[in-house]
Amino acid sequence: MRKIAIYGKGGIGKSTTTQNTVAALAEMGKKIMVVGCDPKADSTRLLLHGLAQKSVLDTLREEGEDVELDDIRREGYGNCLCVESGGPEPGVGCAGRGIITSINMLEQLGAYEESEELDYSFYDVLGDVVCGGFAMPIREGKAQEIYIVCSGEMMAMYAANNICKGIMKFAESGGVRLGGLICNSRNVDNEKEMIEEFAKQLGTQMIHFVPRDNDVQRAEIRKMTVIDWNSSCPQADEYRALAANIDANKLFVVPNPLQVEQLEELLMEFGLLEGVA
Amino acid sequence: MTTTQILADRRAHIHEKGTAPFNIACEKQSVAGSVSQRACVFCGSRVVLYPIADALHVIHGPIGCAAYTWDIRGAWSSGPQLHRMSFSTDLQEKDVVFGGEKKLYQALVELIEHYRPKAAFIYSTCIVGLIGDDVEAICRRVSAETGVETIPVHSEGFKGSKKDGYTAACNALDQLVGTGDTTGISPLSINILGDFNIAGETWVIKDYYKKMGVDVVATITGDGRVDDIRRCHGAALNVVQCSGSMTQLAMKMKQEYGIPIIRVSYFGIEDMSKALYDVAEYLNDKTVMKNTQNLVRDEVSNLVPQLRKYKHDLQGKRAAVYTGGAFKALSMIRSLRTLGMKTVIAGSQTGNKQDYKRLQELSDEGTVILDDTNPLELAKFLEEKKADLLIGGVKERPIAYKLGLGFCDHNHERKIGLAGFEGMLNFAKEVHGTVTSPVWKLASLRDRLVDRHRLLDGDRSRNGNRFVEGGNAS
Repeated sequence: MRKIAIYGKGGIGKSTTTQNTVAALAEMGKKIMVVGCDPKADSTRLLLHGLAQKSVLDTLREEGEDVELDDIRREGYGNCLCVESGGPEPGVGCAGRGIITSINMLEQLGAYEESEELDYSFYDVLGDVVCGGFAMPIREGKAQEIYIVCSGEMMAMYAANNICKGIMKFAESGGVRLGGLICNSRNVDNEKEMIEEFAKQLGTQMIHFVPRDNDVQRAEIRKMTVIDWNSSCPQADEYRALAANIDANKLFVVPNPLQVEQLEELLMEFGLLEGVA
Repeated sequence: MTTTQILADRRAHIHEKGTAPFNIACEKQSVAGSVSQRACVFCGSRVVLYPIADALHVIHGPIGCAAYTWDIRGAWSSGPQLHRMSFSTDLQEKDVVFGGEKKLYQALVELIEHYRPKAAFIYSTCIVGLIGDDVEAICRRVSAETGVETIPVHSEGFKGSKKDGYTAACNALDQLVGTGDTTGISPLSINILGDFNIAGETWVIKDYYKKMGVDVVATITGDGRVDDIRRCHGAALNVVQCSGSMTQLAMKMKQEYGIPIIRVSYFGIEDMSKALYDVAEYLNDKTVMKNTQNLVRDEVSNLVPQLRKYKHDLQGKRAAVYTGGAFKALSMIRSLRTLGMKTVIAGSQTGNKQDYKRLQELSDEGTVILDDTNPLELAKFLEEKKADLLIGGVKERPIAYKLGLGFCDHNHERKIGLAGFEGMLNFAKEVHGTVTSPVWKLASLRDRLVDRHRLLDGDRSRNGNRFVEGGNAS
């Protein structure tokens, strides 16, 4: 089983990209589990056709210790298994501890056992890795591969670079590696070239450039992934390509984060290219 | 010869009188890894507020915080016993994740309805500080809904040491001070601050003041009552004993209400007498002064002959003193001198520079002064200075016993009153009993110096400890 964690700046489209990719992998016949690690518990909405799922922590709170796997895991599109860690409402308690608690619970319940015959498990993690709890999915023995969703916008690249610093720390103590950047396009000037160069400087690759297409939103409004909604539209093929690239990926690295000056230089070079010309 | 090394970072906290100019390091965070004898912030505030007997004390945290501080002092109450309960929100994993505010609110509403306390103190522990429960808001809400003043104590354990807990406790007390009616309070009145009524000591002291013609408005916190604290700003003078814990409250009352402060100690003949005379002198009343003279004369002439037989046996014995604050250690040295004993080690957990300076001035040449020590250092110096007795608290007791020397509990868990003139007699009896106990002949320190390291380590010492050998088949 390959264990993959998806990180990236808040609002960049991690959950959307993850679910659409999972749908494409499922279409390829892969058996997948998706673990949403966001207190909002909205990481599996498109796969389940709505927020139809009780989170691990809510179940734990209401049912006590006697939780069974079936209470917290539901089958979604293409027989993929969906779990939402859940957590407290904003401003109270400790969401980071919540993620630790729920991942431990999943392990105890045997969700990752070989008998489950999973090809993939995906962790979709809250954008701002504000404390140790949100790094739980990449600790020793958890996710081995990380993909960072970003765009050509400065803050998204800044966040991606910061996440690389975190990966470096965990790469030293565990075995986690960066698998690549997923560029979720915002139609920024020279976006593809810039992210390709950014990836190169980080020592990794841009694993796919996902163009901006309103079909993603159209599907999302219907609580569906693009493949599920309209499997023949061009955007569906983009996610199929991303899924195929991840499935075939062999390039796993300890990233080499950029200095702020380097990052700004990169933005100047690519972002202003047209303006200068 | 000892082999115990002093940690490099600890050296500045140790001074041997006569070996170097006096400049001890103190009032610092404990050195990591030194195994300090200090307690945490929460524990510091808990011990200070604990004796307020008609208040509800609720510990917002995991159960351990409450369990390990349950009934922590031998602080007696003449009335309600509510303080002896240790209420806890028993925070568990799901409370950490989802926040403990609702649980705290629920607990408070239930407890207040059941016990109808005069006030409630809510202690914040480490985890509450980390997850950021808004304890202040819950307290405001509960106060408004129940009419019982609910006071947050900001005592998250990681914020510092025991002394920061004293600050948290003083801030909490300050919320009560000044909220009561002060009509009818005599100009010849005081507050007793920093006595905790261990084994009824506050009553002994209060009785002396009564005989002097001085009214006591509030005892803070020994046998304390919420309503007394509310009106304590009406007293003419704050008489502070445990200065480490109570000076901050006294200073605030000085600023806000202009109440002057005097520092006293109720331990030993000299300090006890001086305390009463200082109060009488401040109040500047002829009758009070006359009463004080009579009281002190009667007490001293009754006590001194009774001490003689103890002094005879204890003459020349060597003592080590380890207290909470350094001011108390001064009284200990004087009391021990009264018994013919010499103090070879004197230290404290939280002393300040001024008190340490006085301590070394009062000490004999060669006396070791220790700030924030640890078991290994203490054992090393007990051995080097050939002490016959250690005076300390519950955490120091095993060090003395393992080394095979006498121990006298002078901290807050004890059940015997040591304050006042009658307390001095108890102190003499206690010290005499332990120092002259025949048990030390079977396990004398000097015979076993070589085994010291093994003795310090409970499990590994078994085989080398002839006291256990033979009697223990396993």
